[in-house]
Amino acid sequence: MSAVPQIEEFYTQRGKRARQLRDAGQKVVGYFCCFVPDEIIAAFDMVPYRIQGCPSEPIDRADAYIEPMACPFARSCLNMAVKGDYDFLDGFVAPHSCDTIERMYSIWHHNTPAAFNHFLNVPHMMGPSSDTFYRKELEFFIKALENWSGRTLDQEKLKETVKLYNRRRARLRELYALRKPDPPLISGVEITELMVAGMGIPACEHIELIDNMIAEVVKRPKPKHQKLPRIFIWGNEIDDTAFIRLVEDSGSYVVMDDLCTGSRIFWDDVPETDDPLDGIVSRYLHINCPRSYIPAAGNREEDLQNRFGHIGDFVKQWRADGVILYIIRYCDTCELDGPDLREHLNAMGIPVIMIEDDYSISTIGQLRTRIQAFLEMII
Amino acid sequence: MSMSDKYFAGLDMGSAFTKAVVTCNKKMMASAVSPSGGNYLNAARRVLDESLSQAGIGFENLAGIVATGLGAGNCAFEARKVSDLSCQAMGCFCLFPSARTIIDIGGQFTKAARINPEGRLLDFLISEKCATGSGRFLQIIARILQINIEDIGPLSLKSQTPVEFSTNCAVFAESEAISRIAEGAAKEDILAGVHRAMASKVSMLVKRLKMEPDIVMSGGSSQDAGLVATVAQAVGMEILVPEKPMITAALGAACLAEDEPDI
Repeated sequence: MSAVPQIEEFYTQRGKRARQLRDAGQKVVGYFCCFVPDEIIAAFDMVPYRIQGCPSEPIDRADAYIEPMACPFARSCLNMAVKGDYDFLDGFVAPHSCDTIERMYSIWHHNTPAAFNHFLNVPHMMGPSSDTFYRKELEFFIKALENWSGRTLDQEKLKETVKLYNRRRARLRELYALRKPDPPLISGVEITELMVAGMGIPACEHIELIDNMIAEVVKRPKPKHQKLPRIFIWGNEIDDTAFIRLVEDSGSYVVMDDLCTGSRIFWDDVPETDDPLDGIVSRYLHINCPRSYIPAAGNREEDLQNRFGHIGDFVKQWRADGVILYIIRYCDTCELDGPDLREHLNAMGIPVIMIEDDYSISTIGQLRTRIQAFLEMII
Repeated sequence: MSMSDKYFAGLDMGSAFTKAVVTCNKKMMASAVSPSGGNYLNAARRVLDESLSQAGIGFENLAGIVATGLGAGNCAFEARKVSDLSCQAMGCFCLFPSARTIIDIGGQFTKAARINPEGRLLDFLISEKCATGSGRFLQIIARILQINIEDIGPLSLKSQTPVEFSTNCAVFAESEAISRIAEGAAKEDILAGVHRAMASKVSMLVKRLKMEPDIVMSGGSSQDAGLVATVAQAVGMEILVPEKPMITAALGAACLAEDEPDI
């Protein structure tokens, strides 16, 4: 059976699988961003659910609780919560990923309280003391989950879960490798659907989905050779295919990304350490997100390499011809990193376009001109 | 004109106006402009028919058409679609081969682009959903001052003490302009102040792009001599303006049709 219909089902009917598991007796814990180690939640036999927004629906209710000049992704998520779309969440976890999500924590759990509410403090500086701090925070988080569930975290179970999650990471890297050939064997739209589908289902089910998709893709007839620009996308939350579809329909291949719905969430493994928390701390604290500050290193050029070297490596390995910086409006950290990232990529000879968007598919069409002109520029 | 000469058309279906240009060997033979007026399809037919009859040829004589602009998707003829930035760049380049930076103040957006010595885009920036840097701002102010849009330029050049706008938002600037009128500010000073506010937006865009001379300004707003002078002052460079700045993108579209005639 083809994997595609099932992926589409999970992609379009988000929350359906989590509701089923909840009906079968499991607790579902919703969380924001990529700084909450979801393997900890899974090790308690609960279902971690990455909270997403809905760019195809207008934000009509959240403005009563949050200012309209806040991040439209966060507002869209809150809008869904207020409308009851997240009524299947038994738990709610917000990390201090950015200030919006931090403040949203109290607005959210005050207006739509879950049975379990937890705020996870994540340091913004990447330095040695941050590891100690974050580890302590994770211990508080585990304690809170233990108190709520009435169970003690089984260390062996956590180790197993880390292994399982690493297996998923390895499969996702395999999947992303299918984008390296020219033309790529799998489209950016298909990748986005598969990534989003995985955000609301248990990791073992996601692995099965990825395996089926890989098996199917390698058996498909080779795509016709067409010389189109290869595009790398950098930014934050893309949990809808509309933008990627626009970029690909305008005549390009989206071949690689650094997004918190893409490579950023899975690229590096969690080291499988004797004390599983050691590995989890070192992996999660060092995610390359613009919200984290990497201490300055050396001269300007070395500093840029230190901050953006991994993006340059992706661009080279996936042979991207151009980079789109796609930023959801009011994301200060992304907007402030943008110019430096542009400088770094331009120095490599890579054209860059920076696009600010409203997290609404009704405004996507306005971006068409920009995308077309950019693609014409790099042909 | 020998029988072997081929004709090409460029259509620019913009938010405010639809324009057509017919070229032969990249020379402009005819052009027409009409308000888009909510129906791109009719406007496109009208301007194309008009320019074809000016050129004395029929639709069947066209060897290629390129359509551009926001309404290009509504084009009823078989036409290659190219972004308006590439067309604008090519059109300005055809008129001014020395052009390296293009400023296009349109009805919706302001665009700045750098081009190479072949007229191709190197880099570009577009103002983000902000009317202060767009032609719409001039329309708003002309309406509240009750003057014709063509009179803005000559009138603004008479200003001695331009009004300083404290805001960079066209909507707030509208209420600010109304307050200044109430305080007795002269129309020319308000207009000169509006130009300054626009020029500061536009020059920021161009400077961020690391402009190079020569600079060409196109789009309907560049018919406003006061605005051109203020932008030139803000960027610190002379600005070249095409004779018919509204049709440069359509001209570029026709030239691009000549470069790749097979649709």
